[in-house]
Amino acid sequence: MAEISQQSKEDKLAQLLRAVFEIEATVQRDRRVWTTVPKNELVSLCRFARGLGFDHLSAISVTDWPKDGTFELTYHLWSYSLKILLTVKTKTKRADPQMDSAMPIFHENAQIHERELHELFGVKFRGNPDVAPLFLEDWHGPPPFRKDFNWRDYVRQRCYDKSEEREKPYWQ
Amino acid sequence: MTNQRNGKSPTGNDQRPPDTDDGTEYDFYFGPAHSGSGNFGVKLRLDGERVLSARADPGYLHRGFEKLMEYRIPIQNAVLSDRLCVLEPLNWNLVHAEAVDELTGIEVPERARYIRVLMAELSRLQSHMIWYGVMSLALGFDTGFRLAFGHRDYILDIFELITGGRVYPAGYICDGGVRRDLPEGYGKRIRELLDKIKEFMDQMKSFDNLFFAKRTKGVGVLNLEDAIRLGATGPVLRASGMKTDVRKDDPYEIYSGLDFDVPTGKEGDANARCTIRDLEMEQSIKIIRQVLDRMPEGKTRNPSKLKRPSRIKIPEGEVYVRNEVARGEACIYMRSVGETGPYRVKVRGPDFLHMIPVLEHLLKGCELADVPAIYWSLNICPADMDR
Repeated sequence: MAEISQQSKEDKLAQLLRAVFEIEATVQRDRRVWTTVPKNELVSLCRFARGLGFDHLSAISVTDWPKDGTFELTYHLWSYSLKILLTVKTKTKRADPQMDSAMPIFHENAQIHERELHELFGVKFRGNPDVAPLFLEDWHGPPPFRKDFNWRDYVRQRCYDKSEEREKPYWQ
Repeated sequence: MTNQRNGKSPTGNDQRPPDTDDGTEYDFYFGPAHSGSGNFGVKLRLDGERVLSARADPGYLHRGFEKLMEYRIPIQNAVLSDRLCVLEPLNWNLVHAEAVDELTGIEVPERARYIRVLMAELSRLQSHMIWYGVMSLALGFDTGFRLAFGHRDYILDIFELITGGRVYPAGYICDGGVRRDLPEGYGKRIRELLDKIKEFMDQMKSFDNLFFAKRTKGVGVLNLEDAIRLGATGPVLRASGMKTDVRKDDPYEIYSGLDFDVPTGKEGDANARCTIRDLEMEQSIKIIRQVLDRMPEGKTRNPSKLKRPSRIKIPEGEVYVRNEVARGEACIYMRSVGETGPYRVKVRGPDFLHMIPVLEHLLKGCELADVPAIYWSLNICPADMDR
């Protein structure tokens, strides 16, 4: 495993990632490195990062880009030894959002984040055994955090009565 | 101690297969409407008094803040960020404000940075006092609860004096600095407050041998390897022996220039977590004294003359901000596409990991009587888990 010294450790990490995976890696500021990988390489990059000391999966997030037809996933990894936050970005198709689960590397930590994103964005994580709903009870609508989900209209249709005098302002 | 009925160790992974169930197994709901659980529940599978498995049941406080923030401008989101955790709103104010500041690139005035840290540490103190209160309540020690909540009110008085709100500061720490300057005579009042808290902490120590140790020692042991794997952060991780603190490792605001220690434990049990809490309160007092001594003069917000807030656009970009709140690592991922509000906000609260994987792991195999001790030793806040 390549050694990363404490001097300009961010640059060295970015260099290493570029060399090993042939990807873009930029240093945003002290202790912040951002990189983008194709989605089929994500798990191997996570495994590589884990080997470098990125033990802590801080969060997984999804950004919805309906115009491009993609979901952008961001994995935020923190290293307790290097003291760097590495953000790994990847994209998946919005029409059929499939991702490999990061559970083989980050175990329960990845499991719970993926379970949340499955519920709120509808991203399917292959290899995650438990994606039962976390927050929403008796929910039959589309995944609610997608950009094209109109929550104002959803609430109006479900919770307000047009014929009710007091609730008329909500329909104007 | 062994289970009287079948002679099995309560801590081992000796969960019996369902076909051997002799009618003594049943489901038990701890929360969400239980007075000692907060707005969050755990479904326990019990055999007699032994917990076979636990399944967290979040969602009681889900308000969809991440989505709501996409429809609002930062000055409105600052107020929303109060509600991310009822028990420490100022800390969450700070996380949100830092995310916006980093995107806009506005230089926060020196005095505002000091005020931010002062408020964050006071907020940490009162949050740890709530922790002490609810932990006492969970163990059936009403005096501790009353003492802690009574003394916490002195801190709330200071919050009222500075921010105008006792619990919710209404976005006091906002983008570019803080909403208004400190009032006259704040230093004297805060110093008096710290003396009172010191007194309270001495009282707390005198109770330790009375019952605290008996109910918490060896209960809910989380070893370091499991803690990292399950995503534990903050006091929970430190109690398991990891010396890490976002304020030291990934310093923000003025923390890199302050002198304080990161207390760590070894055992990883409920007692170690409570000890860490006491030591952290001492460190917070130390930080507050330093901040008061060094408080500079000057502006408290940049730019001091604002355009109409709805016209201010956040430059395109994305940031990931990490802070140490009382419960652990609090982060906000914010993506902007150059509109007045953020395009996407992801809130990462410490309790999302503490209350689901860590709690489920710790409850497995424990006795029913230990459930409240384990539950509250993690210092839960359902609000930042559900968001």
